[in-house]
Amino acid sequence: MKKNRVITRRDFLRGTVYTALATSAGLPTGKEVKAEEKVKVVLIRNEKAIDQQGRINKEIVQQMLDQGVSHLLQEENPIQAWKKLIKPTDIVGIKSNVVHYLPTPQELEAAIEKRVMDVGVPKGNISIDDRGVLDDKVFRSSTALINVRPLRTHFWSGVGGCIKNYIMFTRTPWLYHTKSCSPLASIWSKPIVKGKTRLNILSLIQTQFYSRGAHHFDRRYVSEYKGLLIGRDPVALDAVGVRLLQGQRIAHFGEDRPLDTQPIHILAADQKYKLGVSDLNRIEIVKLGWMEGVLI
Amino acid sequence: MGEGESGGISLAPPTLILPHRGGGVSMRFRILLLSVFMSITMLFLVEAPVFSAELNANKLEMKKLLPQEILAYKSDGKDEFYDRQTTFRYMDGAAELYRSFTFKLLLVRRYLKANAPAIIVELFDMGLAEEAFGIFTFETGGEDAGVGQGSDYGGGLLRFWKGKFFINVYAEQEAPSTKQDVLEIAQSIARSLGHEGQKPKLIHYLPQEGLSERSIRYFHLHQSLNYHYFVSHQNILRLGEKTNAVLASYLLPQTKDKTFLLLIRYPTKKLAGEALQSFVKAYLPESTSAKAIQTENRKWATALTYQEFVIVVFDAPLKDKAEEFIQATKKKLGARRP
Repeated sequence: MKKNRVITRRDFLRGTVYTALATSAGLPTGKEVKAEEKVKVVLIRNEKAIDQQGRINKEIVQQMLDQGVSHLLQEENPIQAWKKLIKPTDIVGIKSNVVHYLPTPQELEAAIEKRVMDVGVPKGNISIDDRGVLDDKVFRSSTALINVRPLRTHFWSGVGGCIKNYIMFTRTPWLYHTKSCSPLASIWSKPIVKGKTRLNILSLIQTQFYSRGAHHFDRRYVSEYKGLLIGRDPVALDAVGVRLLQGQRIAHFGEDRPLDTQPIHILAADQKYKLGVSDLNRIEIVKLGWMEGVLI
Repeated sequence: MGEGESGGISLAPPTLILPHRGGGVSMRFRILLLSVFMSITMLFLVEAPVFSAELNANKLEMKKLLPQEILAYKSDGKDEFYDRQTTFRYMDGAAELYRSFTFKLLLVRRYLKANAPAIIVELFDMGLAEEAFGIFTFETGGEDAGVGQGSDYGGGLLRFWKGKFFINVYAEQEAPSTKQDVLEIAQSIARSLGHEGQKPKLIHYLPQEGLSERSIRYFHLHQSLNYHYFVSHQNILRLGEKTNAVLASYLLPQTKDKTFLLLIRYPTKKLAGEALQSFVKAYLPESTSAKAIQTENRKWATALTYQEFVIVVFDAPLKDKAEEFIQATKKKLGARRP
């Protein structure tokens, strides 16, 4: 198999990008893919998640989280579902995202914290943080992590999702920006992180589907999708997220405007770092709730 | 390094003088360690205040450039500064864009007025005027607001450049008066910024016929090239911090699609030649001599090296047009002053 295949614009014109990407990464293409068990992710939406004044409804967000986690873990009672994820003795870091324009909603952070406490974890053993995780006592001694952040396009990595959210577990984030951020998933093997992540949540309450503006943020390209994407596989969530953002760009612009950067870090997370599944054919999306304009 | 040389910072490993087997450390070793320690201490004592003083002077200069009051707006008095390392704290991954140029220092100031959203001003010291021009050209999809040496307004954000400075002005929230306030604040700042600067020389070598001025992009890295015109996920043109590149689009008579011209200056002729070879091998593999090739969109691409430059044409409507672009650029480069 030919390795290190260079992907160019001409591959896109030919429509052979996936093959080129796969070949580049030394992956099987087409017929060689074996049937494997699908990875489950849950998409839950509620049209009342944001009110007419643009405020996020915390009760609705709690309901969405509960329904999503319950479906994912096949438990009727959300607390029972969380007990499958977290033990009362766990020390839990909730890795959030504070990006100024589109942070993880506080209502979602609070909903997660409530359920972790409902399991029996004392408040003192829980921390919600982003940029301070390396200096946070709870994160440094954590036994479990919950990864939560909004979905948005990103100038350097194509998409900012679950995989990228752990970049603050390094003091030198710029070292992971090479080759369209393709080494990002390597951060997940650092001792402070490795094997600790119990749940990943992409907040789709608001999504940023196109990057323009001072900080690559422009309110015109933010969608009130009013959803959550929940799963245990961060790569699968990001892969579905990429597809959603593509659908939103097509819906907004009437054409498929490409991302500024191809999110090859998601493919690398799958094939090189074995962090999860990026092939949409191997991802089962369970859709719950409001379906208008669901796009995926 | 000899044993007696202990005046400056020793680069020789201390293992050259081993401790005594008996457990104590030799006097020579102690002296060497002490001299190294004192040298480093002196370096910090002497150098650190210089760096700090220079940084403080730059901050002070930037603070003076922004008026404390503009119209009915007043500074909130909480200026923030970010440098190349700390700017991630302010703008996350977007910082990479500024770091891909010679960005030095960012001053962020909020202006407040009663019953109006706060106006944010971000003043970037880009070190050089051409770098300020480069970051400005990154996004010119809005309307020209006539501010500074070049400006762009869209989505509530005004971007402009003047001299070595690049500036963003925008409101925290949009309101009916926002646009006018943003424009007037920007004009006021532009007036206080002093001298204008020169655009990069490279853009003067672009052929003029059919050139869309607002399409000109100036940059250094292949990520930036891909942002404007995706070529390859790998750096097949071998762009880097020491290469200067300009990309522009052209609309030719009786055509509706754009032709793109990319002109890159490498540090040496040898590096330019190697970059061309790399590009041709990956992008135009059918062409051993980089002659024009019809690509899958039925348009033409070609490339040429000339001295330390590489010229590439993408999406020309005809083979002859692709060659004409190359020759016109080459002619301009040939006529340049040494």
